[in-house]
Amino acid sequence: MSRLITLAYRKLIDANSGRPWEKLVFADSYREFRMQAQLYNQQGQYRTFGELLHHVPGADKLHFLVGGSIGGYVQQLGGLVPDIVNNVGRYFLKFTRYQFELINSDLHDPSRHQVAINFYAEPLIWHDTIAPYLLVSEAAAPAEASGEVLTHLVQLQPYLTIHALRPAEAAS
Amino acid sequence: MERKHFLKSLLMGAASAPALLSACHKDDVSPTSSSGTGTTTTPTGGSSSTNCTVAPTETEGPFPTKVPSSYVRSDITDGRSGYKLTAKITITSSSASCAALAGALVDIWHCDAEGNYSEYGGSGMQSTNYTGVHFLRGRQTTDAAGLVTFTSIFPGWYSGRATHIHVHVYNASGTSLKVTQIAFPEGTGSAVATVNGYAKGLSGYTYNKSDNVFSDDSAGIEIATVTGSTTAGFVLTMNIAV
Repeated sequence: MSRLITLAYRKLIDANSGRPWEKLVFADSYREFRMQAQLYNQQGQYRTFGELLHHVPGADKLHFLVGGSIGGYVQQLGGLVPDIVNNVGRYFLKFTRYQFELINSDLHDPSRHQVAINFYAEPLIWHDTIAPYLLVSEAAAPAEASGEVLTHLVQLQPYLTIHALRPAEAAS
Repeated sequence: MERKHFLKSLLMGAASAPALLSACHKDDVSPTSSSGTGTTTTPTGGSSSTNCTVAPTETEGPFPTKVPSSYVRSDITDGRSGYKLTAKITITSSSASCAALAGALVDIWHCDAEGNYSEYGGSGMQSTNYTGVHFLRGRQTTDAAGLVTFTSIFPGWYSGRATHIHVHVYNASGTSLKVTQIAFPEGTGSAVATVNGYAKGLSGYTYNKSDNVFSDDSAGIEIATVTGSTTAGFVLTMNIAV
């Protein structure tokens, strides 16, 4: 029985991330963290994001505030979730919604800066499961004249999850 | 891999994922190499090497380019409705006889006509096709005269606070120089009285003398000069010494 699912991919970026896009997100989010964190650290007594969250009311806004520095890079992805490919090796997962997240950071040690971007994919119809693969199609795609539905095979993998599900009855 | 390093990598599964990915990224020749199965696979993810999926096999590009923070803009309105406000803020250096400070970064942020700040809403997600999620927040660099100019809307108000604009001034390398707020003049004919709190009115409004930030500013140095009208828009002028 087919169901409507929303896949979510949590892309982690830290000092070990090596691709140019990741390095730009890493560097710009670290710079923005160092700037914005000063608002919550005016006496300079805290060093890590964890300390700020624990001790300073409102410091959880840093997720949102630092996220403002990387929106341009998310747009450069052209609406396709990075890293996740179908079984013929193509990027296929469309998204319009995302959320930036600070995981850890340290005002004096960039190697401890670690962030995530959560990508929420556009709804997919999950038709079947074949061996380790989900057989899915885009819920928003128009039907082909022949009545065929174009599909992708995709494997669930670490940091890729089914974020939301709607039974077929409710989806129709 | 030594055991302790392996265990550490399990603990830091998150951190090790990109390292494993890049370790498997020696694929300059692999797409044409014959592995027997004809499939290029690469482990993905933190601690599991049993979970293999097909590697990306697409033409490279478009290549990422450096882009400024989305705060860097002069017009911070982002479609918020309200009376136009042009904010002209001059930054001077108190340690240099109040000479203009060029090259300083100036962040401002304030609430919309209803008194709300931009923040993540309910689901916490933001959409790529709606860039206005950081509305009424902006960053500019001071010119040779120490001046930055923002285009925005006249701020609304919320319970417990007088009308205000937050300002954070940094030096060119991003080190904080001053965190402050700009207050607005009050009384008959003032912009605050003219705007009259938008749809809310001014019932229950907190005036500067009762505001917990501005009440100690008896000399009024935190109060800007505001001119203009609802039809022509308002112009705010402020000098801030850092």
